[in-house]
Parts: sequence; structure tokens; C-alpha cells
Amino acid sequence: MELQAIYVQILALVIFAIGLIVAISRRNIFFVLMGVELALNAVNLSFVGFAKTLPAAQSVAGQIVPLFAIAVAAAEACVGLAMVIMIFRNRESVDSNDFSNMKG
Amino acid sequence: MLLHLLVLAPFIAAILMVATSKEDPKSSSRLAFLFGIAFVAMSVALIAGGAQTTQAMEWFRIPGAKGPAFYYLYSSSLSSWMVLLSTGLSLVALITARNTTCKNYRNFAIGIFALMGAMNGTFLAGDIVLFFFFFEAMVIPAAVLIAGFGGKERTKSAMTFAIYTLVGSAPMMVALWYVLTKADNSLLLSVITAVQTMDPSAQKAVLICFLLAFMVKTPIFPFHGWQAISYSEAPAPLSAILTGAMSKAGVFGLIVWVLVIFPLDPGVVSTMMWLGLATAVYGALMALRANDAKKLLAFSSMGHLGLAVAGVFSLSESMLPAVLVLLVAHGLSAGAQFLLMGIGERMTGTRELDKLGGLARKTPVFGSLFGFVAVMALAVPGTAGFVGEFGVLLSLWNAGPLPALVAGLCIILSAAYMLRFVQKVIFGEQKCEVADEKRMTALEGSSIAIMAVLLLAFGMHPAFVTKDLNFVSDEAVAEMSKASGTAFAIPAKESDEDLSAAADGVDAVAAPMSEEDFRQLDSNLAANGFSEEERASLIKQLREMDKEEADLNAQADEIDATAKEAAATEAPAAEGGNK
Amino acid sequence: MTNLPLWFIPLFPLIGTVLLGVIAVISSGSKKGPSEGFIGALAVLFPALAFASVVLLALNMPAEGLRSTLCNWIDIPMLKVDIGFLFDGLSRIMLLFVTGIGTLIALYSIGYMHGDRGFTRFFAYINLFLFSMIVLVLSDSLLLTFLGWEGVGLCSYLLIGFWNHDVNNCKAANKAFIVNRVGDIGFLLGMLVLCTIGGSAILNYDSLAAFIQMIVSGGHVDIVIPFLSLAGLCFFIGCTGKSAQIPLLTWLPDAMAGPTPVSALIHAATMVTSGVYLLARLCSMFVLIPDVLTIITVVGMLTAFWAAVAGLFQNDIKKVLAYSTISQLGYMFMAAGVAAFDASIFHVFTHAFFKAALFLGAGAVIHSLAGEQDMRKMGGLAKKVPVTAGVMLLAFAAIIGLPGFAGFWSKDLILEKLYVSGPMGPFFYGVGLLTAVITAVYMSRLIILTFFGEYRGSKESEKHIHEAPACMLIPMVLLAAGAVGAGYLWAESIGLTTFEQALEPVVGAAQASVIHAAAHVNPMVFAGLGTAAALLGVAIAYVKFGKARIPEAKGSSAPTGKMATWTFLFDIIHGWFVALTNIVAWIVDNCIDKLVQFVQWLIAGIVEILGDGAASFQVRKVRLQLALSVAGVVALVVVVLLTGGLI
Repeated sequence: MELQAIYVQILALVIFAIGLIVAISRRNIFFVLMGVELALNAVNLSFVGFAKTLPAAQSVAGQIVPLFAIAVAAAEACVGLAMVIMIFRNRESVDSNDFSNMKG
Repeated sequence: MLLHLLVLAPFIAAILMVATSKEDPKSSSRLAFLFGIAFVAMSVALIAGGAQTTQAMEWFRIPGAKGPAFYYLYSSSLSSWMVLLSTGLSLVALITARNTTCKNYRNFAIGIFALMGAMNGTFLAGDIVLFFFFFEAMVIPAAVLIAGFGGKERTKSAMTFAIYTLVGSAPMMVALWYVLTKADNSLLLSVITAVQTMDPSAQKAVLICFLLAFMVKTPIFPFHGWQAISYSEAPAPLSAILTGAMSKAGVFGLIVWVLVIFPLDPGVVSTMMWLGLATAVYGALMALRANDAKKLLAFSSMGHLGLAVAGVFSLSESMLPAVLVLLVAHGLSAGAQFLLMGIGERMTGTRELDKLGGLARKTPVFGSLFGFVAVMALAVPGTAGFVGEFGVLLSLWNAGPLPALVAGLCIILSAAYMLRFVQKVIFGEQKCEVADEKRMTALEGSSIAIMAVLLLAFGMHPAFVTKDLNFVSDEAVAEMSKASGTAFAIPAKESDEDLSAAADGVDAVAAPMSEEDFRQLDSNLAANGFSEEERASLIKQLREMDKEEADLNAQADEIDATAKEAAATEAPAAEGGNK
Repeated sequence: MTNLPLWFIPLFPLIGTVLLGVIAVISSGSKKGPSEGFIGALAVLFPALAFASVVLLALNMPAEGLRSTLCNWIDIPMLKVDIGFLFDGLSRIMLLFVTGIGTLIALYSIGYMHGDRGFTRFFAYINLFLFSMIVLVLSDSLLLTFLGWEGVGLCSYLLIGFWNHDVNNCKAANKAFIVNRVGDIGFLLGMLVLCTIGGSAILNYDSLAAFIQMIVSGGHVDIVIPFLSLAGLCFFIGCTGKSAQIPLLTWLPDAMAGPTPVSALIHAATMVTSGVYLLARLCSMFVLIPDVLTIITVVGMLTAFWAAVAGLFQNDIKKVLAYSTISQLGYMFMAAGVAAFDASIFHVFTHAFFKAALFLGAGAVIHSLAGEQDMRKMGGLAKKVPVTAGVMLLAFAAIIGLPGFAGFWSKDLILEKLYVSGPMGPFFYGVGLLTAVITAVYMSRLIILTFFGEYRGSKESEKHIHEAPACMLIPMVLLAAGAVGAGYLWAESIGLTTFEQALEPVVGAAQASVIHAAAHVNPMVFAGLGTAAALLGVAIAYVKFGKARIPEAKGSSAPTGKMATWTFLFDIIHGWFVALTNIVAWIVDNCIDKLVQFVQWLIAGIVEILGDGAASFQVRKVRLQLALSVAGVVALVVVVLLTGGLI
């Protein structure tokens, strides 16, 4: 059975929503980070899903962009985790409520 | 090629400097000197090689603009000299900074090279977007250097400097965008065409935005708030570059990107001239009262640049060479003074005039050099400063006796504050200890001495600087025409004609009254209840006065012509007398 | 025989300056400077070479003078000036005594400056001064003259402040430079005015003369007279600065803070006379503007009289001579004012000899008393330093105008020219004669207080009084000989007019154009009156100071009370201007600058308040921020969708 594009999008939306909710509602910054990753991958999924609706020649572009995004996401995850670790070392806490230095 | 090198290579040099040792200033300074000398050699070659131009390369398109912006560089004699100032002062700054900012010399050098690249780009850009890009880019390395290496209030002064200058040029950015929506592309000649055909009110608004940016950078009187604090808090080698080369970007902008582009009405011209004079007087008076040696120098720079701007807007024939000599002279002398004061501060640990003194006895070589450079700054005849000041005075005299008198007053005041400065720093009783290991080194001394000797050389033979002056060379015009696809019918000299046209505008105000004017006056008088005879006699008198003036002018011209003849016949006789 | 190139003359002192300057800088680090003998020899060699080349050139000079253009100097659209030299009758005379006296004084300085730390530096400055002075008188254009003009001012500054560890010396030097700068601006403006009427070409003296001749012959005089008057006035302001005339004269008495040879060379013999030189050089212009000439005469007269009276009140031996110099310069200006340029240059010439001799004598006295300058602590020195006393006496005879001495010829010539100058002539003559009496009084007072009577200093110091060394005495004696004999170059009553003939090609035509009524007075009457004035002055001084007890020297040597008011009259007026400048500067600093800063602060403050307001929107919790931003995006999307999309 041909997979309907709309189901892929619905799945992507659900995953995105989960990611967003995790990022907003969890206080542990590791979970926040994981939520962000989840949301990012949902967008990748959405990309691939839309790409499937196009003819083969054009769908390649839609499949390549997620590859880029994955590479960037890997780098982002590295930096993000490193930052989280540094913050934890300095503050002995992973509770995002403790971090309000940015407030001017 | 040279142009590309001068603009891009400093940035590459800055990147390469990262590879050197951070702890050891000796090793990193060697590489920095090497680069510095290479850049000076390049800019000398640039001056010697005459006007040059690169291929215009399309850079990017600004949303809403009609045409693309180009990466396009060209050099005129004005910009080549400014480039020499920037590279030369950077080199001497790098030399003196080795002992002044020992710690982290590497980062200092990186900043200086980035600043140098941005300044060169500003002076050489032939495209207004490129120019503006570099004009803004200059601020960043300078502000970072102030914040990193400055005195006690370095953070505050760096912020003041960056915010003031960036905000000052923000209106220019808007105006620039507006101009680009009208111009075919952003090359100089297209911009000229676009601005000239704009409707007058828009033109005036754009002009004011442009003027504002340059007045802040120079700085001109009401917009000078950032200057004293930045110059005094910045490390002395950087202050030397800021005043010697970066402030010139303002004057340079006024000449190339205002005078050449805009058709100027006499009101704006005379306002700018008087603002320049006000700056000159203001700077001199503030320098008289300053107690901080570097503030004194900052205000003295401000005074000199005010005079230069007044000279620019006197719009006389000899404006460009005179102002160019003045700028070069000021760059060298003020730069040298800042560098020397930096060494003085290093030796004594203070820059308050009341705590300094007697350095001529304790460190005689430093004292001699200090005195020598101060004499150069006084614009004694035989130094480049004199040629510039006299030329500017001559230009101002043509604009009217009052501006010349005010400029004369400034020259008197400059003697007063400069002598006070010299007296307080190197003469009198010695008030502070001098640490032996912090004395001026031979390398520093000789590099500053070279600047002083250059001032003498330009003073005795200013033709080094003033020969073959032009704004835009033929090659540059050809290249710009090719890039924009329209042949610019304007010859290379259009800028000169532009100037004389503006000067004519000034003259027109003082032109004799026409018949129309008389009729107008007559009816006005009648309305005010003058009798028939009174009116007739008044008008008759006025007519006679006018006629006399016309005669006088004609006769003066005639005398002029005969005088030249007489001079011509005199010359061979003089030669004959010598045999 | 081919002549030497003209640029050889300034070249020698220039080489000397560079050489000595380099030696001074290099040796400044070492404890013991370079050998004084070697430096002294160098220092005298270059002025002497310049003098020798001047003499060589002077002997072979053709009547119309020598001209040579070295190279182009400034070449910009409105200003084309060459570096060129002009050696004619006027510059010949000036150069002869400038280099001659310069050489003698350099020789004298070797003794005077012995043991000073800045020995080499001093001679570098002296050589630089001679270079500038030579350029001043030798140049063929106003702009190059101005180079020398400011150059001598600079050297004067450097040498007055030579002992720069004392702040008072520095202040005197600053004052000299700044007051001179005021005059120099006059000079600059004068040049600008000339440029307006004839372009920069007429900055050249020959072209200027040709130009003026042309407008005279063309009948255009009326048109250019206002311009010429303005230019003349501006140049005269320049002259008052350099030559210490009212109102720019206050710097000269203060300039005595410098070493005495400097006072002799710069502030008596050469630099201060450059104003007179300029008037003579521009004579063809000045004779066209009689109004300005009258101003010059009046200013010269007032200066001569005022300074002579001020000279009476001084106790410092050098100050007396300084005021005397101002007074004598006043005479020269009076002469120039009645278009007797040759007479004024003649007085410059004789004055250079006798005043240099007086100053060097005073220097020798100060040297022998180990730095004492207060005349009230001198006395009876004639027996102790006989040669110095002899030299001073001869120069004294010259300055008061005893018959046969140099001053007699030149001063009487000036007075005679004043008398015949016009309706005001007898009045000018009267004031001149009165000033001559006062001159005799204060000079006699100086001589009496210094050389006669009893020694009034401490017993301790009396033992150390000694005659100066030979290298100081030789120049003094030579100058004294000049003070006696220089007058015979133009002793009209005995038929000698060499000097007049020498100047004839330069100033003759101009002077001839100003027609004076022929003198109806026997020249012998003038001579007799002049002599009587001198004798009267001496007699008054003898009665007043010869026998009287000299008041005990207390405190400083500056005059007090009404005498101070008279002496410092112009200092007080200058003080007003300085105070005015300071007040304006204070206002600029404390009002205008504060206002600008306030506006800046206001704008920054407003921005900051706005920023604070905007910042309060920011919530504290990171998660809430994130949620809010997501909500914001959602809201935006909804709005976009409801309004029909982006496009």
C-alpha cells in the first residue's frame, strides 16, 4: 500500500509537538536538549515526507536536505552537550529554573 | 593586484598572526614587523605607481536596489596618501607597542592588522556599498583594541566610541539604500548620476545623512563627544592610528563621497566651513585647558582637522592639494606625538601634565625628539604643516577675510597650547622617576625620527605630495563604465568642474544687481513712502557703486594679466643677473 | 671670476646645525660631553665660512645684485613659490654684519658657555639661528623670508628657554614665541592680501617692485591703495612683533632670561632688526601708502620714548640694555616711517655694533661676578675689569651719540630726516631729541652704577672678580672698534656717503618718489643739538647718580610702584588678552562642552530608560521564555493565515 503523505506529516507533527512540550515543560536541561533534538528530527521527517510526493528527479533535493540537517544537528548536539556539561560543572545543577543570568 | 593586496592581505596577516606565540612578544613582533614593512612598501609602490584600478567584480545585490554592488577598488593620489598614512602609522604603532603592551602583543597586532585592512578598504573603495562596509568595519577592531588594551576606563570609552560612531553612520545607511534604489549600481559614477538627478528635497536629506556620518568620524564640533575619551583611554599606539589615519576617513569621505557626488548649494558649504572653523577654535581652546596629555593631543587633532574641513569647504582651486598636505602633515605629526606621549607615559607612569616635567634632562634623546616633533606640529615654515596651513589659509581668505582671521587665531592658539604642552612635559623641574628599563629604545626613536624627517622633506618639497592630483583617473572611469554598461560621458575632470560650479554659486550671491532688482527695490521704496527724488537718487547711487565695482574687477583682472607679464619678463633678467 | 653660488651662504650654518645637533643628541647620554675645544672650533668654523663667502660675494657684486633660483618650493594652483636668493645692496649689508657679528659672538660664547651641560646644543641653536637669519635676509620672496622669520623666532624661543630646568625661563620663551606668533599672523595675512591683488607671483620682491611700478605708471594707484594699505598694515604688525614695537614688545625684556651672548646676537644685533629690514625691503610698496608710514612713525616715536623712560627704572643690567634696544628700534622705525629707509638701515648697522658690544660687556661683567645681574650690587668695576670697562665706555659713547662715534652719525641722520619730513617733522624731531637725552641719562646711570664708585657686593664675592678670558675679550674689542668706526661709512658732514651709495639701487627710487621740502637748516645745528642732548643727559645722570648713595639692594631687581606700572604697562594690557582667552576657554570648557555632554547624556539616558522598559517584558524563567516565543510564532502564523497569507 502506498504510504499517504499526510500520515507522515501527522506523525512528524506529533513528534514535533512531543519534542516541543518536552523542551518547555521539563526542568532538567538534558531533557530540554533531547526535546529540541526530537523536534529537529520531526522536521527532517516532514521534509522526507513531502519529498516523497514529488517525482523522483525532484524528490532528491528534499531527501538531501535532511542529510545536511542531520550533520548540523550532530554538531549542534556536540556543542549543546558540551555547554550543558560546562554549565553543570559551574553551577552544580541541571535545573533550567536556576539559570536566569540572561535576564538583563 | 596591489590594491587587492593592500585591502585583503592585512586580514590574512591578522589570521597568520594567530599562529604566533601569545606569551613571547619578541617572536610575534618579528612577524608583525615583517608584515608591517611589507605593507608600507606596497603603499609606497602604490603612490609611485600612480592611479590604479581593479576589475569590478559583482559582489551581491541589496534587496530593493536597482543594480548590484561591486567589489571594486581604485586609487587616486588622495587615497594613496591616506593608505600610506594608515600602513605607516600602523608599522610604527606595532614597533612602539612591543614595549608598551608587552602582555598579549599578538592579539594587539591582530587587531591592528584588521584595522589597517579596513582603513585601506575605506580609502580605496570605488563602490559606495564597499566603502560603507569598510567604513563601519573600521570601528570594530578599534573598539576591541580600546576595550582590550586601554587605560582605566577602557570599557566605557570603547562603548562610547563604538556606539557613537556606529549610530552616527546609521542614517547614512538608510540614505545609501535610498540612493541605491535610484542608481543603476553602486559604483561612484553611477551614484553621482543618480544623485544629480534626484529631486532637491530628497537630495538634501541624503546629503545631511552623509554629512552626519563623516562629521561624527572626523569629528566636527557638536559631534565630538566620543573623541577625547577614546583617544585618551586607547593605548597610545592605537590613538596614533585613530587620529593619524582613521579620523582622515571622515575628511576623505567629505571630499570624495560628498563634494564629488552632491551639487552643493552655498548655504551648506558655508555652514560646513563655519562648523569646521568652530571645531578648530573649540579644539584649540579645549587643548589650552586640558590637563591630560593625551586629551590635549586629542583636542589639538580635532582643531587641525576642523581647519582641514574648513579648507575643504572653502572650495577654492588650491583646496585639494592644500588639504592633502595638511592631512598628511597632521597624520604624521599628531601620530608621532601620540606615540611619543605613549612612551612618556610608559616611562613615568602618568599622563597628567602637572605630574610630568623635566624629561629633557633625564632622558635627553626623548626630550629632543619630543621637542622636534612639537616644532613640526607648530607648523613652522619649512615643515609640511606650514604648507598645508598656508594653503588652507589662502583658500579661506578667498572665501572671505573673516574665516582667514579665525584660522589665524587658531594658529596663534595652537602655538600657545603646544608650547605649554612642551613646557609641562619636558622642561622644568623633574617631578617623577623614570624607570631605566622602560626608556625609549633605539628602534622606536629612529622610527619616530623618520616620521619627523618626512615632515621636513614634505615641507621643503611638497611636490612629493601635491603633484598630479586627481579624484578619479581615466582608467577608473573606463572600468566603471564597463562594469555598469553605460558609457559615462563625464570626463575624469568632472569633479573639478563640479567644484568650480559650486564656487560660482557662491560668487553669484555677490553679483551686481540686475535691472530687475532695481525695479523691485524702487517699488519697495515707493511702498515705504519715499518720494520720487529720493528714490531716484538712491538708485542712482547704487548703480554707480555697482559700476565702480565692475570697473574695479575689470581693472584688477587687467593688472593681474600685466603683473604676470612683468613677472615673466623679470625671470630671464634675473637669470642674466646671476651670470 | 665666477661667483660662489648664493646658496653656499646658508648652507654652512645648516651643515653646522645638523652636525652639532647630531653630536648633541648622541652625546647627551654620556656624563662628560664631547671636547669643548672641538665643538667650539666647529661652532665658529661654519659661521666664519658663511662670513667669508659673504665677503667674497660682496666684493664681486654687480650693481644690480645677484639673483639665483634654486628650485621650486610650493606648487599648488593658487600658490607657486620658488626657493630663490637675492643678493643686493641691502642684503649685502645685512649679511655682512649678521654673519660677522654672528661669528664673533660664537667665539665669545665658547668662553661664556664654558662648562655648561648643553654646550653643544647651544651652538647647534646658534648655527640654526644664523641659517634662519641668512635665509630671512637673502631670500628673494616674502614666503621664503617668512621661513627665516619664523625660524629666527623659533631659535629665539629655544635660546631664551635654553636653561629649561627653570620654569620661568620657559615661560619667558613661550611668551616670546606666542607674541611673535601674533605678529607672524599679521605677516601671513599681509601675504594673503598681496596674493589677492596680484597672485602668488608678486610674493617675489622683484615682481612686487615691477607690479608696483606698473600700477604707478598705469595710473591704477587708487584702486590698489586700499589693498596695499591693508597689506602694509599687516606687515607692520608682523614687524612690531619681531622688532618689539608697541604693542607687541613685552617679550623682549623677558627674553633676557637667555644666555647673554644670545641677548647680544638675537635680541640686540640681528633678529630684532629684521622688522626694519622688511620695511626697507618693501620700500617700494610702503612709499605708496603714506597713511601707514605715518602710523609707523608715530608707533616708533612712542616706543622710543616709552622704552627710554622704562630703561631709567631698571636695576638689572640686561634689562636696561633690553629697553634701550627697544628704544633704538623705535628710532629705526621712525626713520623708516618718514621714508628714510637708508638711514634706518644705517642705524641698524651701527646699532648692531655698539649694542652687541654693550651686551657682551655686560655679559663679561656678569661672568666676572658669577651671575650677578643687579646693578645695585656692582660698582667700581673699572679697576677690576679694565678691558671690559673700556669696551663698554666706547660703546656707551656710541649709543649716546658723542661726536665721532658710530651712534652720532646714524642717530643725527635720523633726527635730521625726521625734521625735514613734513609739517609734523619738528615735533617728531623734538621727541627724538628728548629721547636722546633720556638715552644718555639711563646709559650713564648704567655705566656709573657698574664701573664707578665703590663695590657694593659682598666682600666674599669681591675676591673672585676677574677679567674674562681672551676668547671673550677679542670679540668685544673688535665690536668696540666697530662701535667707533662704523659711522664713517656715512658721515655726511665730512663727505663720506659709502653706505648711502650702497643702498641706492635698492631704496633710492622709492625714497626719491617721496618728495620732502629741502632742509633750510644748517646740518651743523643738528649735530650741535644732538651733542648737546647727549652731554646734557650725561650731566643729569652724573648729578643724580654720581654722588648719591645707591639704595641697598633688596629683593628682586624688578622696579616697583609707579615705575612698575610704566614698565609693565603693556604686560598688563597683554594680561587682559590672556585673561580674556582664559575666560573664553573656561566658558567653552565648562559651559559649551558640558552642554554637549549633557545633551549626549540626555539622549543616552532616554535610550536607556526605553531599553529598561523593554527589558521588563523579559520573564525570568527560561522555559516560560521558550513557551512564550513558541506562542508568539503560533500567533504570527495564525495572523498570517487569517489575513490571507504572505503573498
